[in-house]
Amino acid sequence: MMYTLYIERDSLLNRLDPRVKTIGSLFGIIALILFNSPILLSLLFLLIVLTLVILGKITIGEIFNVLKPLIPISIVAMIIWPFILKPWYFGLFIGFGYGIRLLSVALLTLGLIMTTPQRDLILGFIKMGMPYEIGLTLTIALRYIPTLYMLAQTIMDAQKSRGLELERGNFIQRAKNTVPILIPLIVASIKTAHELSIALESRAFGASKRRTFLHNIKMEVKDYIALGITFALFFLAVYARYFLGVGYIKLF
Amino acid sequence: MIEVRDLWHIYEGKKEALRGVSLTFGNEIIALVGPNGSGKTTLAKHLNGLLKPTKGEVIVDGMDTRKHSVAELARVVGYVFQNPEHMFFEENVFREVAFGPKNLGLSEEEIEERVKWALREVNLEGYEDRSPYSLSGGEKQRLAIACILAMRPKYLILDEPTTGLDEKNAESIKKIIRKLYREGHGILLITHEMDLVLELAERAVLLYQGKKVFDGDVKEFFELDLRKYDLDRPRLLTISEEIGLGFFRSVKEFVKALEMRT
Repeated sequence: MMYTLYIERDSLLNRLDPRVKTIGSLFGIIALILFNSPILLSLLFLLIVLTLVILGKITIGEIFNVLKPLIPISIVAMIIWPFILKPWYFGLFIGFGYGIRLLSVALLTLGLIMTTPQRDLILGFIKMGMPYEIGLTLTIALRYIPTLYMLAQTIMDAQKSRGLELERGNFIQRAKNTVPILIPLIVASIKTAHELSIALESRAFGASKRRTFLHNIKMEVKDYIALGITFALFFLAVYARYFLGVGYIKLF
Repeated sequence: MIEVRDLWHIYEGKKEALRGVSLTFGNEIIALVGPNGSGKTTLAKHLNGLLKPTKGEVIVDGMDTRKHSVAELARVVGYVFQNPEHMFFEENVFREVAFGPKNLGLSEEEIEERVKWALREVNLEGYEDRSPYSLSGGEKQRLAIACILAMRPKYLILDEPTTGLDEKNAESIKKIIRKLYREGHGILLITHEMDLVLELAERAVLLYQGKKVFDGDVKEFFELDLRKYDLDRPRLLTISEEIGLGFFRSVKEFVKALEMRT
């Protein structure tokens, strides 16, 4: 069972400061929204893939794996356009761009998660001004996914041992079948949360306004360079779109 | 009769949890012991079909567990999980116990009769309208047993039935186990508590690193060097040996022998 998308690998992207990567992904997403030319969007998609492959040492197979669940949605986004835009082949062409854009946005976000450990990612958010409490909440939520998954498995086994057949019956019956799983799961989750809050308080959580971090992150020369490149590329994109009028097709 | 023949189990992507275990048991109280990660739970989950063998087979009263669903096997093998709260979801005790029989597709009268019987077996009569979550730890454990009993299984698997209970509650669980055994159930206890093994079981099966390393009489079992398997020897045995009194199953027996001697 895979609980995290992070791939431990010694690559430039892995070593880059999480803040730079977060800003990079964000700018990338904005840039993708600026354009709607399918050709340019395809090129941007290719650029993201190449960045992940070359700088992040992520294989094409791994990229395909994380994008696989999104392919049906992007196909829907694509085939909806021929109904809106005439002639149909023009609609399909634009739709293709929108499908690619969807995958690109997803890949930027997923790429960030794949090259950054959860801990560093959240630390980066905190350093950029997110309240510590929210960061901790996020960390705990992510930390408890595998625990709850295991718990759900145990509960399912316990109820199956009482003759519950999860796959039996029609849609409504199946929805009903989840009640014996969900109630014990919710009760156990609330109990765990309650215990956790007591544990946090007994360790003086919130006693001091200013926190220090055991594991810290620091911007290095390569991070500043990468940040510079990110900004340069972003302004290039804005310039191209608004001053040169590149990459945008007027639809209506 | 439950027959386990050369059972192997490999969890996906992990190492072997069971490596060629064979075991046969019928109407007896048998303790399945071993340190954490020795494969006790993995073995037990094969007996009612929650897990299917990677290699080998498990035959429950002539049924191959690979060919029958857990729901079908539940009529024959009852599995009481360690934490009772992992199964409670109904608003009252009556409905909670009725859940199993309902799943078996029994008639209303039959269900009611079974619920009453099961609650009587575990001394929870009069609790029908209480919420399962409002019960005490010992009561919850007894209710968990009743929920499984109501399906009238021939064999019962009890996972750590007395862990976390105080002396009095543990004692009542032991009584229930003995009674169920006398009534003809085959009982498999999964436990770390050697006192429980000593007091209740006739036969002990020791698993270590996925292999069966001992299967036999409890008396012989306690002659093994248990520390080798990260298990403790019951105090009672150490003491009685120290003063040269031999093997006892319970403190009561020991005290009686002690009084006879003086």
